[in-house]
Amino acid sequence: MSDKLKEVINQQSQKQQADTLDQSDDIVQLVGFMIGDEEYAVPILAIQEIIKPFEWTRVPQVPNYVLGVFNLRGSVIPLIDLRVKFGLQQKKQTDETRFIVLKKNDEVAGFVIDRLTMALRIKKDNIGPAPDTVNGDETMIEGVGKQEDRIITILKVDKLLERDF
Amino acid sequence: MDEFQEILQDFLVESFELVEKLDEDLIELESNPEDLELLNGIFRVAHTIKGASSFLNFDVLTHLTHHMEDVLNKARHGELIITPDIMDVILESIDLMKALLETIRDTGADAGIDVSECVVRLDKISGGDGNVETPVAAAEPQQEVQEEVVEETPADDEDELDYDNMSPEEIEAEIERLLNQRQEEDRKKREAKIAAGEKVPSLDSDSASEEPKEEKKESEAAKPVSTPAPTQSAPAKAKPQAKKEDPKAAAPTKRSSASNVEQTIRVDVKRLDHLMNLIGELVLAKNRLIKINDDVEERYEGEEFLEELNQVVSIVSIVTTDLQIAVMKTRMLPIGKVFNKFPRMIRDLSRELNKKIELEISGEDTELDKSIVEEIGDPLVHIIRNSCDHGIEEPEDRIAAGKPETGTIKLKAYNEGNHIIIQVDDDGKGLDAEALKAKALEKGLISEKEADGMSEKEAFLLIMKPGFSTAAKVTNVSGRGVGMDVVKTNIEKVNGIIEVDSVKGKGSSMKLKIPLTLAIIQALLVGVQEENYAIPLASVLETVRISKDEIYTVEGRSVMRLREDVLSLVHIGDIFEVERILDTSEHAYVVVLGLGTSKLGLIVDTLVGQEEIVIKSLGDYLKGVDGIAGATIRGDGGVTLIVDVVALMDIARGVKSTVMMEAEAGAAKINEKNSPSDYTVMIVDDSSTDRMIMRKALEPMGITLVEASDGQEALHTLKSGDHNFDAMLIDIEMPRMDGYSLASEIKKYNRYKNLPLIAVTSRSSKSDRMRGVESGMVEYITKPYSADYLSSVVQRNIKFKSEFM
Repeated sequence: MSDKLKEVINQQSQKQQADTLDQSDDIVQLVGFMIGDEEYAVPILAIQEIIKPFEWTRVPQVPNYVLGVFNLRGSVIPLIDLRVKFGLQQKKQTDETRFIVLKKNDEVAGFVIDRLTMALRIKKDNIGPAPDTVNGDETMIEGVGKQEDRIITILKVDKLLERDF
Repeated sequence: MDEFQEILQDFLVESFELVEKLDEDLIELESNPEDLELLNGIFRVAHTIKGASSFLNFDVLTHLTHHMEDVLNKARHGELIITPDIMDVILESIDLMKALLETIRDTGADAGIDVSECVVRLDKISGGDGNVETPVAAAEPQQEVQEEVVEETPADDEDELDYDNMSPEEIEAEIERLLNQRQEEDRKKREAKIAAGEKVPSLDSDSASEEPKEEKKESEAAKPVSTPAPTQSAPAKAKPQAKKEDPKAAAPTKRSSASNVEQTIRVDVKRLDHLMNLIGELVLAKNRLIKINDDVEERYEGEEFLEELNQVVSIVSIVTTDLQIAVMKTRMLPIGKVFNKFPRMIRDLSRELNKKIELEISGEDTELDKSIVEEIGDPLVHIIRNSCDHGIEEPEDRIAAGKPETGTIKLKAYNEGNHIIIQVDDDGKGLDAEALKAKALEKGLISEKEADGMSEKEAFLLIMKPGFSTAAKVTNVSGRGVGMDVVKTNIEKVNGIIEVDSVKGKGSSMKLKIPLTLAIIQALLVGVQEENYAIPLASVLETVRISKDEIYTVEGRSVMRLREDVLSLVHIGDIFEVERILDTSEHAYVVVLGLGTSKLGLIVDTLVGQEEIVIKSLGDYLKGVDGIAGATIRGDGGVTLIVDVVALMDIARGVKSTVMMEAEAGAAKINEKNSPSDYTVMIVDDSSTDRMIMRKALEPMGITLVEASDGQEALHTLKSGDHNFDAMLIDIEMPRMDGYSLASEIKKYNRYKNLPLIAVTSRSSKSDRMRGVESGMVEYITKPYSADYLSSVVQRNIKFKSEFM
């Protein structure tokens, strides 16, 4: 019995080692989500948490994609609707709607997304640059990831968190 | 090196505190040149700084302070009477000393400031020893030598060099002379002390290296944050009680010679800020607890555990409040810290302006938050300068007007509720309302029309306008028309209010009303439609309930009459772009906001209440939203925005109120029903069978029916705004949210005030009916019911037009 246990533990530790190898091996971990018909992703390390939608407070005199602020365990955090930000119509929230709370340095903001897809591991080689049509430094796109038959747009977290009004 | 830095830091902190006190003492000394205790105190300050700076190798500073010490020492022994001219030199040297200390703080060395001129003058006063004419670097070592020999200061290394510059005889002679001089002084000092009935400590100024240290210790211990006269030097404190009965007790800036040394500890302000933040969190949690307690109380009325819960909640709430006050107090500083610099300022000003002015300070013990103390220094300087320059007349004019030659400026501080009032009164010529108006007109700051309608008090406030100055000539002191604007801006920054009052020929009075603290504030919560906003209570003068026909429109702006004033009005919804769904109520609440000098009536839908709120920043992303100062988290966990009253007043100027129009438009909209399907009714029931029964009963009418299976869903559907409901049929027993809660939730929203809610239930007891009425239901239908009955009730409630039947 104990031998078997050892074996399992060994296997697991080997697996873990393989994992860490994987990580060092130019692999980017992302979380994918849907906005409209497009699939987007952000680096997993930029995500503070993903939560179910709840009440927020409207803030006046801001662009329409800023829905307002909400209370995340005592902090007041802005809430941004990515649908509207990306030029789509605002949609009513469904059971699949989530708030992704992104964090970079001290900047924290919540983003409304239509639906989560999955956690992704994409090799750096499979990530292409943003298409040329998107203009220079202003782009919110970090790159385009290819996996199997899908194309996923990877977003720049610092651009998302940057105030642009 | 680190140790040196540490010592340097201590030295700087101590020196700045000593110097600050020095100014005040010297001014007092001028009016009481005989006061030995004061003189001793001042002498000690110079001496302490000298001792420490020589230890730290700040040669220039040592040089300067040494000569100051000489002069003061003479005065102390009665060989010198302090005249205003001598005082000018002493004050100048103190200014230099401050500059030196600042240089040391910024650069770590005391180079770059030339003190020789001042030193020469100091020396002339002290009897012209002659040897000061030598340049700083050379004069310096001589002092060091003298000190070394007499006081055994271990500062050998720096002197070596300088011996080389002199012939041995010179040094010998100099040492001899200085030694004698110093010994003579020491002897006299002892004698003077003995004469004053004092016990002479055997170690009296024997060792300079020991003394400063000792003093440092003592004055540190004697430096409680809350005592206004903390740097009273140690010997003065140790004096016998008899000293206290000195006649100088009546001096203008009287000090209390506190004999008991308070225990204090220095704390980094950052720690206090952190503590304050934590308290903020605690206050939020407390608010939440109170809210939950209220909810539980409602639901489990009469249960035994409620009593216990109540007790715990009230204890927690009391302790939190006490804790908050205690922490706030640690951040409090006596306003004396700001007041300290004014005696000196008045003195300089009165000499500069050739006026005789006396300053009376009271209430310097009054405490307020550190951050505010830092903000009010500048405004006060401007106000006092203004009083000196424009308020107090020339001596001859004063005599001609039958007033005492010396003008008086009274500076006082006192508490009033949650505010501190700082008042500056002068007995000068006062403000002339007509002249102010004329001046403002001339400068194009107001229109003719505005001038006519202006009350005296409003005219006084004109002096706060940027670019306004009544002084015929621009003097060095004021008249550039900037100062009072600064006052207004700074006071507004701390949510303060300014009042100006004046009687022509008698004097004027300026009152600053400032909140005690900034981080946790009392706020008035107001509601507009379904949104809430928090207004800092400090800016709220009053609230009034008015009927809509009390609102007049003047030049496209809404105004109302508030007692004898006309108050311009603005709807909070117009400022914060609140969508106004429907508002048929005849009344409105007006929150009268006062800030700095202006007033504004803010129309709101409801007054929610007063609550203690903690200001939280909106973060970088949303920073700087016009009209919003921050946010706070409420008892229910929701976020409420805090109104920035300053910005709001600015915005209000550009907004035309639309109170009347919207109400009329709204009223017209609801009556447009062209077919039966324009009526929409929601059915809320968890049983699909029941929903079906209701649907069957109502379908024949041809109206639109929407279903929801519980309270939450119903509320969601209602708020989504997809339908314009004319009535709701609500079951009472439902999962997630029952009918009563649903009804009271709905009734919280202004726009649903008139939405008929009809209870459909099998509960039929009287108390159930009562609860239904309380939660806002208009009808109560008991199951089972007939289809006809249900449809007739619905028809009645939605005011179904007869032509559709």
